[in-house]
Amino acid sequence: MAKAKALDKRRKSIKNIRKITRTMELVSTAQFRRAMERAVAAASYSKRLAQLVSDLARAGLKTEHPLLAERETKRRAALFILTANRGMCGGYNSSILRSGLARLDELRREYDEVELYVSGKRGLSYLRYRKFDITRSFTQFDHKPSYDEVLEVANEALNRYRTGELDRVDVAFCEFITLSKQRATTTTLLPLSSLTTDSEDEARAAIEYEFLPSPASILEEVVPNAFRVQLFKCFLDAAVSEQIARMMAMKAATDNADQMISSLTTTYNRARQSQITNEIIEVISGASALQ
Amino acid sequence: MKCCVVTPEATVVDKDARFVVAPLYDGEYGVAENHAPVVGRLGAGELRMTLLDGTIERWYVEGGFLEVLDNNVSLLTNRAVRLETLDVATSREALARAQAITSNSDESAEVKEAAVLLARAQLRAAQKGALVKK
Repeated sequence: MAKAKALDKRRKSIKNIRKITRTMELVSTAQFRRAMERAVAAASYSKRLAQLVSDLARAGLKTEHPLLAERETKRRAALFILTANRGMCGGYNSSILRSGLARLDELRREYDEVELYVSGKRGLSYLRYRKFDITRSFTQFDHKPSYDEVLEVANEALNRYRTGELDRVDVAFCEFITLSKQRATTTTLLPLSSLTTDSEDEARAAIEYEFLPSPASILEEVVPNAFRVQLFKCFLDAAVSEQIARMMAMKAATDNADQMISSLTTTYNRARQSQITNEIIEVISGASALQ
Repeated sequence: MKCCVVTPEATVVDKDARFVVAPLYDGEYGVAENHAPVVGRLGAGELRMTLLDGTIERWYVEGGFLEVLDNNVSLLTNRAVRLETLDVATSREALARAQAITSNSDESAEVKEAAVLLARAQLRAAQKGALVKK
């Protein structure tokens, strides 16, 4: 009896776990949709910004700006590592940390000082455990990073870069490429490598705009905005990728639980059957001993 | 004439308007029907839209660009909130914070000046919003 009972108990606990993983999967599916909508909205902004840049280029403006130029001095760099607040998302956090720490090593070789900005409880607890010196930590960017919050961070980095306190700003995050492909990467946001997030440049008929006050002054405004939006996009990408990673991980976990339940059910039935057979044999042999 | 306000988070406004007044870097800029194509740099301040039924909608926008093309007025901006929802007290605090920035070099003085100008514009808009609410 003992064996069948233990098997049944195990099967029940797996069923409970399956319920949890299944719910997590559904929750992250819903959150993924919302995150995706926000990413699309941000994309429409950056697309318009890109259009503006190409209009400016058509007006004969050379894109030259202090934020676009490589710095000679290499004193202090900053590295943002964007991880998740929660686990249960497969290798998501560890792959970001791996690529982030690789970049950290590179930066430390080149720069005198490297500041570490970490977002997400998972990354924080790991880096604290490894005794890394964390300059600032954020936990407020969950599945729904708001632009206002990112703006604050972006403006601070921007101002410090302008005043020469920082010479480089890097971000380690999980890039969203397609639904089935996300990749942990590190990119350099300051100095900006390009003003547009994607290279697709739609051909538009040349329009004779009047620029107020001048193309150069508009560029002055475009460049910091391009940086802010790119940083925001990193946060949004991270949010979308996190939900996808969690969806996949939880789907795999649910499928696994299903398999375990069915195999446990088979073993349980076999155990129960052999137990019954044993009992019958005992009864019969007991009865025949009495004859 | 279509008027839309786009922030990195969302398209905040997408409405038909008769007349739009946008806060450019040096003052207000009015756009009526069939305006010539313009790209302008926005400052911080009040955006007024006179809708088709004559009501006036007021928004506070912070930096970005104005683009007018083919009866489409689009504003790309960092922040867009209803003017009436701005709070005077928090705007005052923001101004005090901006004024407290230490400026010990040309670059940091620039940063401070920009922050103070922005906070002043927000405070002005908040005060106007409070007036409109009354």
